[in-house]
Amino acid sequence: MESRFIKPALGVYVALFVLFLYGPFVVLTIISFQQGPDGGPQFPIVEWSTYWYRQVFGLTPPSRIAPLPFGEALIRSLVLALMTMVVSTVLGVMSAQAFRRSFKGSTFVFYLIVLGMMVPGVLTGLGTSLLANNIIGIERHWYTTAFATHVAYTFPFAFLVMLAILNRFDSSVEEAAWSLGVDPWTTFRKVTFPLIFPGVLSAMLFAFTLSLDEFPRTLFASGRDQTLPLAIYGTFSVEIHPNIFAFGVLTTLFSFALLSVYGILMALSVRRAKKMAMQEDIA
Amino acid sequence: MDTSVFRLEGVTKRYGDLVALNDASLEVGANEYLSFLGPSGSGKTTLLRVIAGFEAPETGRIFFDGRDITNVQAHERGIGFVFQNFALFPHLTVMQNVAFGLTNGKTRVPTPEAEGRAAEMIELVGLSGMEGRGVDQISGGQRQRVALARTLAMKPRLVLLDEPLGALDANLRSRMRNELRAIRERLGVTFLHVTGSETEALAMGDRVVVLDRGTIIQTGTPGEIYDRPASPDVAHFLNRFNLFEGTLSNGSFSASFGTIRAPAATRADRDCYAVRYDRVKVLPLSAKPADGPALKATYIASEYLGSSIMSFFDAGQGHLIEMEHHLSLGAPETYEPRQDYLLTWNPEQAIVFGREAAI
Repeated sequence: MESRFIKPALGVYVALFVLFLYGPFVVLTIISFQQGPDGGPQFPIVEWSTYWYRQVFGLTPPSRIAPLPFGEALIRSLVLALMTMVVSTVLGVMSAQAFRRSFKGSTFVFYLIVLGMMVPGVLTGLGTSLLANNIIGIERHWYTTAFATHVAYTFPFAFLVMLAILNRFDSSVEEAAWSLGVDPWTTFRKVTFPLIFPGVLSAMLFAFTLSLDEFPRTLFASGRDQTLPLAIYGTFSVEIHPNIFAFGVLTTLFSFALLSVYGILMALSVRRAKKMAMQEDIA
Repeated sequence: MDTSVFRLEGVTKRYGDLVALNDASLEVGANEYLSFLGPSGSGKTTLLRVIAGFEAPETGRIFFDGRDITNVQAHERGIGFVFQNFALFPHLTVMQNVAFGLTNGKTRVPTPEAEGRAAEMIELVGLSGMEGRGVDQISGGQRQRVALARTLAMKPRLVLLDEPLGALDANLRSRMRNELRAIRERLGVTFLHVTGSETEALAMGDRVVVLDRGTIIQTGTPGEIYDRPASPDVAHFLNRFNLFEGTLSNGSFSASFGTIRAPAATRADRDCYAVRYDRVKVLPLSAKPADGPALKATYIASEYLGSSIMSFFDAGQGHLIEMEHHLSLGAPETYEPRQDYLLTWNPEQAIVFGREAAI
């Protein structure tokens, strides 16, 4: 009786959820195939075409619609995301490693780190730019001040992921390596790291994607040169053409590709983790 | 002549309020097999971890090979450790596991030479042909051998074994026991073996160290431990003695079986009377033992153990008395369930503990 009612209700709920999740993307995709250069960002589709995709890559003859000014912003954002990913992941792994043993003030340090993802981004961005301008007196750049805010924001995510991974880690394999005369650093490189690699991968993915579309912190802290989200936002204030949607579809596909790579690497690592779990089961 | 390889002096280790190891002192000779026996929580694993350098003691010194290693880090001690869960490197093959210490340790043996030495060890533990397998593709007993080969490949003079046979089934356990002994004799290594099994401790050790609540309560050869347990607790762990609570007074012990002369009592913190399972004799209720203990008990059941038979009797108030009959001494008598019998033994063979005893 109960399940006869609840199951369909849950099904409808999930269907609606998926619709809201992917609805915008579907609309975006459809409009991106609008005829160009005269077709606008609305229904109906006058005629299907790939004009706006070609426009994004500068393959169309010049028209009254300017090409998207994203080239440099895209590069900047990718470089920034990579930098953030590397620094946050390294910090995250190291600090989580430190938390494997309790130390004086560990609770305080824990909240201090996690605060980075709790504080409203606009405040962090504003505060950073005020600090840079008025107190330290340095210029704001995407690779200095904005980079700092990105690390402060993504580091806690990487930290929490690694903390969860290391929590389940059986440290007897490390002790085994020590007892074989292998120093702690080599042990970390040859034993610990390969085994926690799935977690490191997740931490990297978090840091990269969070940084790539970070807006509020970057808005104030990036200075003159804009990152991609800021550049996209900038085009909205003029006139919206379907080329922005074509661009959106392309970046989404890029994200999917990234996720697929992550999924493949993860599957490989999980198989290895399973081996380890099996070993523990027997013991 | 000092043949000592390893020495502990007053080592104490606490976890918060819990004293895991209390003032432990010990000396181990070269090429000796020492087994540590104690119930879980007795501190035997802590003792091994302190020796290996995984835990630092609060007080006391540890000497190995003539030097003080108390403050030396685990990877610089040169002491092997075999884990109960084996702790193999799951991402490496059998060969890579065994060669790991050689290629990544202080000496950094080049891979071809390391693999040569590893192959010898793999052969020693009887795993030739499995070098290329992942450690998830081999059985529990084989993993145990890999763990052992991995440790022995480093040629340590001291190897710590933390319940290394605990994860194996009974058949495999006795086979591995023999192999451990054979390997030890071939390589001349000192083994410290922690176990919760009294059979294993007595069978494996040249000497047995009995631990309880973080304290070493007896050290001796298996024969000494078995024949002369130093305290009621040791007798209890050995799982070979019927224990009777009672009072020792003026050289006589009074308990449920009556009052018996006990001139050679051992000093202990409580009064206790111990009779080995195979010293108990069963008489019909009508018999009158001329002199000595007589305990009325109800027969419950028997267990066939191959070389002997264990019979269980209820002496009232839930006190279970066990009697072992070695089949080499003749066919066993049969008893009627729920019938009463008289249990007796030669008082000379009993071990008496008491507060008033001199020694």
